[in-house]
Amino acid sequence: MKKAWLCWSVVICLLLGLITGCSSGDKAAGKQPIKIGHAVALTGDASVFGQSEHTGLKIAVEDINKKGGILGRKVELVAADTRADPAETVNAVRRLVDQEKVVAIIGVSQSGVAMAATPIITAAKVPTISTTASNPYVTETKDGKLHKYMFRVCFIDTYQGTVGAQFAYERLKARRAAIMYDVGSDYSQWLARYFEEAFIKIGGTIVAKEAYRTGELDFRAPLGKIKSAEPDLLFLPVNQKDAALAAKQARDLGITAILMGGDNWASPDILSLGGSALEGSYFINLTSFEEPAIKEWCQTHQGKFGGPIVRNALLAYDAMLILANAIERAGTTDGEKIAAALEQTKDLPVLTTDKFTIDPKTHNPLNRPAYFNKIENNQFVFVETFAAK
Amino acid sequence: MFIQTLITGVAIGGIYALMAVGYSLVFSILNFSNFAHGVVIMLGSYVGYYTCTLLGVPVPVATLAAMAGAAVIAVLNEKLAYKPLRLRRAVPLYFMISAMGAAIFLENLVYVTVGAHFLTYPEFMQDSIAIGSSNIGLLDLVALAVSATAITALTLFLNKSKQGMAIRAAAKDMTMIGVLGVNINSLLTVVFAIAGLFAGLAGVFLGIKYLVYPTMGWITNKAYVAAVIGGIGSLPGAVIGGVLLGIVESMVSVYVSTAFRDVFSFTFLIVLLLLRPSGLFGKSLDEKV
Repeated sequence: MKKAWLCWSVVICLLLGLITGCSSGDKAAGKQPIKIGHAVALTGDASVFGQSEHTGLKIAVEDINKKGGILGRKVELVAADTRADPAETVNAVRRLVDQEKVVAIIGVSQSGVAMAATPIITAAKVPTISTTASNPYVTETKDGKLHKYMFRVCFIDTYQGTVGAQFAYERLKARRAAIMYDVGSDYSQWLARYFEEAFIKIGGTIVAKEAYRTGELDFRAPLGKIKSAEPDLLFLPVNQKDAALAAKQARDLGITAILMGGDNWASPDILSLGGSALEGSYFINLTSFEEPAIKEWCQTHQGKFGGPIVRNALLAYDAMLILANAIERAGTTDGEKIAAALEQTKDLPVLTTDKFTIDPKTHNPLNRPAYFNKIENNQFVFVETFAAK
Repeated sequence: MFIQTLITGVAIGGIYALMAVGYSLVFSILNFSNFAHGVVIMLGSYVGYYTCTLLGVPVPVATLAAMAGAAVIAVLNEKLAYKPLRLRRAVPLYFMISAMGAAIFLENLVYVTVGAHFLTYPEFMQDSIAIGSSNIGLLDLVALAVSATAITALTLFLNKSKQGMAIRAAAKDMTMIGVLGVNINSLLTVVFAIAGLFAGLAGVFLGIKYLVYPTMGWITNKAYVAAVIGGIGSLPGAVIGGVLLGIVESMVSVYVSTAFRDVFSFTFLIVLLLLRPSGLFGKSLDEKV
């Protein structure tokens, strides 16, 4: 008696399970959120950029979900910490691709990190948009073959180095430039090289070019060598921590040359780190916080950021809008089709520009201007937009 | 340029020496490399930074606070991470592993509580003095003078005071002085407190000269190399090793290449160890065994 009752209840349970299982399965497939991975430096040296970038991306996802998501599905963000370290990145990206099965990835913000992620995302066919990786070989191989799934929203180092050299020569009237760069960073090496090439081409002289190893704190030895070469401009295409330290030590040694940096300087903590040593320095930026649309966005969302808003937040926001637009146009979450749709992105209004276009030949943005900033009274002051010739 | 390089080398070497003293002191008694020393320097630097910025006291006063704070941390480190091993008569290898564990633990604790942001001390002694075409920072001069005074004071303490004599005796044979009635626990408290004081001082100098951040303690790898060059366990060796390493590094940076600097410093270390396995002023190895 008891056994029969048990049997029946088991059968009924199974049947119920089957029916509800099927129906809920069908519904869930349609309503499952679209998972987007964010591979970013949440800790480590670059965490000032990474944390801000993550908040920016979260805001973009919130905004998209408020408007009904993508293809009628909600967007879910999955973060993985790269620590801005290529080895950590491989683990982080693998987790996003293999375990979390994300549809696309945003982030991989450093050139070395993006390059480390490329083989994985290419094999898995996961379209990836880098926020600030500016090395030319992020989106293509050294023999000019395009990485099909890698895109970016920032301009590239060739352009940045060239525009920097031309600005230094024409606007700052520099003729004798010195360079000090980080030999362990792809970004720094390439930027140094392109600056050098462009500066010589336009008619200037590179009087000293010194390298140091990543993690260095004391630059007085190479700076001493630079001092004796008597440059009128010192180009420091390095991260904000190294730039601030180098600036302090350069002033200590009595170097009076104008200091100039790349877009890595755009982290507001450079001001507290470098203090008075950075007064009168210039740097190239990818965006400008002076533009009305960006200013308004920053004011609205300031509360959500624990600290200062850095440009990574804006570029991550852009990347999410571009990705959402591409998925809508592709009509599917298939990686290959999204990548094809991304290539066709044209004149899309995003946060930092009204017309964002991706060059299908290079996967880089077309015609992004460079914004020059100066440090005055311990603040970033926008000088002008300058495009390379 | 040669003079400038020499000045820079000595200035960097002075800080290496300050850090190497703490390493050598602990090594001479417990016979293991205290890899947690770098973290004590880092924490000392944070103590100094927050005393400076939150309480608004001038840097010299904050330095004293940093030294006291680092001394307390170093003593706690000994009591919590090394004493239990000591009571079980563990071999030095376990002390070293425990030290690494403590270092990683404390470093990550700072990551999650304070955060990974870089901090800077208020600007202090920014001026530099020009000597001919060379410049030396005022802070470097002060750091050198303070380091020299502190190291001299320590040497006097070790040679003239009763506690100092006990410490020197412990460096020869800790079991024996225990048998003779010296309280080993309080002796080690003194040793770690001294190492902590030096760590706090080094931490503040590093913080002012460079930055304050969770992984800053790793610069002590260089101090460790300096201690080994000088002969680990020897105080004069630590000082000379530190200054020598500072000068070699600066010279290589200027006359060879900055990128090659560490290749040369470590080659220098290896060659020196091949020629003199116990460093310049180290105790001979027979004595250790």
